[in-house]
Amino acid sequence: MSGMLDQIDPLTEEALQALQAAGNLSDLDAARVKYLGVNGQFTALLKQMGSLPKDQRPEAGKRINIAKNKLEGLLAKQKEVLELAACLPTEPTDFTLPGRRPQLGKLHPLTQVTEDIVRSFRKIGFVVADGPEVEDEYHCFDALNTPADHPARDSQDTFYINTPNRPLLRTHTSSVQIRVMENQPPPIRIIVPGRVYRRDTADATHNPTFHQIEGLYVDRNVTLGDMKGTVEFVFKELLGKDVKLRFRPHYFSYTEPSLEIDFSSALTRKMGKEWLEIAGCGMVHPKVFENVGYNPEEWTGWAFGFGIERIAMIRYGINDIRLFYENDLRFLNQF
Amino acid sequence: MKVTVNGLKQYVDFDWTVEELTERLTMLGLEVEGVETVGGGYDGIVVAEVLESKPHPDADKLSVCQVADGQGTRQIVCGAKNFKVGDKVPMILPGSSLPAKPGEKPFTIKVGKLRGVESCGMMCSGSELGVTEDSDGLMILDANATVGQPFAEYLGCAEQDVVLDLEVTPNRPDYNSVIGIAREIAALTGNPLKWPEVDPAEKGEAVESLVSVRIDDAEKCPRYQARVIKGVKIGPSPNWLKQALEKVGVRSISNVVDVTNFVMLEIGQPLHAFDLNLLKKSGNNLPTVVVRTASDKEPFTTLDDQSHELDSEMLLIADETQGIALAGVMGGLNTEINDQTTDVLLESACFHPGNIRRTSKLLELRTDASYRFERGADVEICDWASRRAAQLILATAGGTLCQGVVDVYPGKTEPQTIALRYAKTDALLGISIPAEEQKRLLESIELKCVESDATSCKVQIPTYRVDLKREIDLIEEVTRLYGVDRIPSTPPRGAHGSNEFDSEHDQLMEARQLLTSMGLFETQGQTLIAESDAKRVANDCVALEYPLSSDMNVLRPSLLPGLLDVLRHNVNHRNTDVAVFEVGRVFLPDENQTRESRRVAIAWTGSRQLVFWKGGAKAEKVDVFDLKGLVDTFLDTFGIRGFSWRTETCEQNEFFVEKASLCLGKNVLGTIGQLMPLIARDYDIKDSVFMAELDLERLVAMRVSSRSFKALPAYPSVRRDIAMLVDETTTHADVNQAVKKAKINQLDSVEVFDIFRGKNVPEGKKSVAYTFVYRDPETTLTDNQVNKAHDQLVQHLQKALGAEMR
Repeated sequence: MSGMLDQIDPLTEEALQALQAAGNLSDLDAARVKYLGVNGQFTALLKQMGSLPKDQRPEAGKRINIAKNKLEGLLAKQKEVLELAACLPTEPTDFTLPGRRPQLGKLHPLTQVTEDIVRSFRKIGFVVADGPEVEDEYHCFDALNTPADHPARDSQDTFYINTPNRPLLRTHTSSVQIRVMENQPPPIRIIVPGRVYRRDTADATHNPTFHQIEGLYVDRNVTLGDMKGTVEFVFKELLGKDVKLRFRPHYFSYTEPSLEIDFSSALTRKMGKEWLEIAGCGMVHPKVFENVGYNPEEWTGWAFGFGIERIAMIRYGINDIRLFYENDLRFLNQF
Repeated sequence: MKVTVNGLKQYVDFDWTVEELTERLTMLGLEVEGVETVGGGYDGIVVAEVLESKPHPDADKLSVCQVADGQGTRQIVCGAKNFKVGDKVPMILPGSSLPAKPGEKPFTIKVGKLRGVESCGMMCSGSELGVTEDSDGLMILDANATVGQPFAEYLGCAEQDVVLDLEVTPNRPDYNSVIGIAREIAALTGNPLKWPEVDPAEKGEAVESLVSVRIDDAEKCPRYQARVIKGVKIGPSPNWLKQALEKVGVRSISNVVDVTNFVMLEIGQPLHAFDLNLLKKSGNNLPTVVVRTASDKEPFTTLDDQSHELDSEMLLIADETQGIALAGVMGGLNTEINDQTTDVLLESACFHPGNIRRTSKLLELRTDASYRFERGADVEICDWASRRAAQLILATAGGTLCQGVVDVYPGKTEPQTIALRYAKTDALLGISIPAEEQKRLLESIELKCVESDATSCKVQIPTYRVDLKREIDLIEEVTRLYGVDRIPSTPPRGAHGSNEFDSEHDQLMEARQLLTSMGLFETQGQTLIAESDAKRVANDCVALEYPLSSDMNVLRPSLLPGLLDVLRHNVNHRNTDVAVFEVGRVFLPDENQTRESRRVAIAWTGSRQLVFWKGGAKAEKVDVFDLKGLVDTFLDTFGIRGFSWRTETCEQNEFFVEKASLCLGKNVLGTIGQLMPLIARDYDIKDSVFMAELDLERLVAMRVSSRSFKALPAYPSVRRDIAMLVDETTTHADVNQAVKKAKINQLDSVEVFDIFRGKNVPEGKKSVAYTFVYRDPETTLTDNQVNKAHDQLVQHLQKALGAEMR
C-alpha cells in the first residue's frame, strides 16, 4: 500500500490549487467538500491509513497532518478573503441619486413666531398667562374702560354668542389683563398669547380669527421709560438688531398715555415704507387699576399688544393672512 | 380728517416743510396717513387770443393762426375748427409740457414745421389739459379772460397746496377741524392761533320776532341756536370757497350750504341752513323750531330724498307740524335750501353723542355732521360758529343778518378743573420735567391755569377737550407735548412674574414638538365653522348670535371638522399624503354656559412614507395601526401611564366607521378611528382617513413626568415563539389578560408578531403568533427552567382561550 503515501503529495497539491482557484464562497465550499468533506478525497485517504503497515503509520500520519494543516490554513485564509469581497458593493453607487429622507413635521409658523416672542419675554422675567376666549362684556370692555357706547361693542364688529347671558368672543387678549389682576396681587409680569375674534370678512389682511400677544407689567415705580426699554428689547430680539422703533401718541381706552409703535428696518424699506405700524402700548389707565382693586397711587404699569399674524407676515414676507388658516402643506413646509 | 397746508397757515404761522409738518403732527398723536399735492401745474400755459386765422397753404384740415400771448404775437398751426377770431383759448408755449395723465410721460411742445409752415406753440382742448372731458376742438375761455394770464390763475387754482389725510383717534373730536389742528401747531411753535375776525353786521328785525325755539328733550340737545339771514341770493360759491371744500373732498353745492360746510371743517361745529319760509306754523304763531324725539314709526324724508321710518329714541328737529331735520345727521327735503330761498334759518346746536350714533347707525346714514356729533362736539363753540357762518353767508350770498340770536341753552355747565401733581408725571415717565415746563406745556394748549404752587397746578378744561377727565389725562398731554421720543428707554428690570398657566404653556408646546418629531405638520384651523360640519361630530354646539355667514356660524365643538378641511384643501391641491395635527380649543355648551377645553387632534391619509425611487413599500397606504402606534408613542412619551383602548360600536351614520376610546381609569380621554368613507368622499378624499382626538387639557393634568432608572438586565433572556388558533372574537387584550393571569414569574415580555386568516385556518378562527421572552434578573435560566415555565403558560392559554397550538 505504499501507493497511498505516494498519493498524499499530488492530492494535497490538487486540493491547494482548487482552494486557491475558488473565486467566490460557494466555489470555495464546493472545493472544501470535494477534498475535506466527509466523503472528500482527502478524508478518504485518511481513512486508508488504518490499512498501512504499522511501521509506516507514524510517517504517514505526520505527512497527512502537515498536508491537512496546509489545506485548512489556506481554506481559512481564502474564506476570509472571499467573505470580505462579498461585502463589497456589487455595482458602484450613484451618489447623485436622492437619499431616503425622513419626513419631518413642522410647527405652524404662528406657533413658531409665538414661541420666539414668548422666549424673548421670558428672558426678562415674564411668564405666560391665559384666559377664556368666550368672555363677558365686563372683562372685554367695561373693566378696560371702554366707553359704554363704543362701536367695538357693536354686534357689527364683535361676535356675540347666542345664549341668554350673551357672552362674546374676546376681541383682544387684553381681557386676560383683567382676569389676572383680579386673581393675583401685584407685582404682575405676564404675556398672553391667544386667539381673538373680530367680525371681519376674510380677505388678504383679515380673518375673523387671529392671534394677539399681550404684555402686562405692574409694579411700584414702573415708568414709561421702562416700557420703551422693554419693547425695544423684545423687538430687537424678534426683528433683528438693526431695527429702529418709533413711539407716537395714540389712543386706547385702557392705557394713558397711549402710544403706537412703528418700526423701521431693511424689511420695511424693502416694502417701500420708512415706518410700519406694529404694536400698541401704554401706561395702564388708573381707572383699570381701580376696576381690579389696585391702588393707582401705589402701583403703575404698562401693557402692550400686537398681532402675531402681522409679525409673521412681515418676518416671512407673507402677503395673505388666509394662508395661515388653509394649512397647505407646501406652505407649512417652508417654515 | 383732511386739511391743507395752506388752510392751516391761515390760522397759525409755521415755516416747516411738508415733511417736518407730517413728522411733527404724527409725533403729536395725529398720524398723517396720506399726503397729496393739489393745484398748481399748467406751467407755460397762458390765456391767448386768436387774432387771425387763414387756411394752411398745403393742408385742408389745418389753419395758420396769429395769436396774442400777452408778450407778443406768435404763429400757430392748428387743426381745430371750433373757434373764431377773437376767441380766447389756452395756449401752451414751446418748451412746456401738457399735464401728463397717470403713467404717461409728459408731452413737450417744440417749435416745428407742420406741412412746411412754422408753428410756435399749441392751442389746447379741455381734455388735453385734463380740465374737461371735451376733446372736440379748442377750449374756448371766458371772453373777459386776460390775455397772457397764466392758465392756472385763470382756473383759480394758481396756488399749489398739499392735502394731509390725518387719522383722528376717537378721543379727540377737537381734531376734526382746521382750527383744532392749528391749535396744536400753535402749541408746538409758540406762535399765536389766528382766529378769524367775526363781527357780522346785524340789521333790521329782531330774530325773536321771526322764529322761536323750544327744546323738549334737553338731555339729547343741550343747546340750540337760531339766526336768520334774510334776502340772500342762492347761487354758486366763489372760487376760494369752492376750492377750499373740493381740495378736502367736499362737493360744492351752493353758497349758503357751502358756507355751513366750510365752517364745520374750520371749527368742527356742524351747522344746518333751513329755508325759513318753508317752515310751517300753527295759526298766527311764529314759526317754531321744536327739538323733540320722533314718534314711533314717524316717517321722514332726508334731503338726499331717502325716506326713513324713525323710532321714539331718535331726535328730530321739527316745526309745529312735521319734522324738518334729523337732528345732527341730515336735514329734511321739505325745508332744504333751494334756488328760490331768500330767508335762511341757521341752526347751530349741540346733540348727545350716543343718541346721534344710534340714529346714524340704525338708519345707516353717516354724514360729516353725525361723525362729529357722535364723537362729541363743543357746546361752547355754537355761537362763534353761527356768527362766523352768518358773516360768510353775507359775504357770499348777500342779504341781511337779523338782530340777535335765539339761544336755548339748558345744558350750560361750569368749566371743569383738573389738578396735576408734577411729581406724578415724573414718576410715570421715569424722567424729571421741571414744574414750570409742565405748566407751560399745559398752557400752550389753552388749558388755563387757575391755581398753582410749587408741586402742582390746577387747570381749566375747555369744553372742546372732552377727553380730559382726570389727572392721568393731563400727564398724557405733558408727555405728548414734551415728546415721547425725548423720554429715554430704560433696560428691562423688576419683578419676576408668576402665573399657573406658565408651565401649561410649555406642556402644550411639548405635545406639539412630540407630534412634529413624528412627522406630523401642525395646523391652525378656524374657530368658527359651519354648523352642518359641527353636527357631524357633536349634537350640540355654541352658536353665534349674528354670524358672518353660514360657513362660520358656530364655535367648533371638535378639531376634527377643521382637520377635514385641511385634508380637502391639500388633496385638492394634489397633495394626497397628509399627516397633520392641531392643538387648540373647542367650545361646548354647558347649560347656557360655554365650556372651553384644549384638545389635540390628528388626521392622516395617503401614503405611509414619502415616495422613494427604490424598494417595494413605495405605495403602501397608511392604516389604522400607523395612527394607533403614533398615538401610543405620543401618550407613552408624554407621560400617560396605564391607558387602554376600548373598541366601540359605531352607528350606521356616524363620523367614524370604526373607532375606539382612550380609557384611563374611569375616564374616557379621546377617540381614535377611521373616518366614514362617505364623509371622506364629501371632502373629496379618496384614500382612507384615520383620525384621533384627545382631551389634551386632562392629559396634561394626568401626566406622570417622574421617571426612574431601571437597571439594565445582567443575565440573558430566552425567547419562545408560539402560533395558536383562537376564535375570531378573541382580542389581543384577551391574550394579554390570559398571559397575565398565568402568573409566570420569569416572563419578561410578550409581543404579537403575526395574525393570519386563510389557508389551513378554519372559518371563524384566526391564527395568532406571539413571542415570549423569559428572563430571571438574578441568574441565567436553564433550558429546563424555560421549558417548564413556557409549558405552564401554553397550558394556561389553551384552557383560558380555548386556543389550539399549531
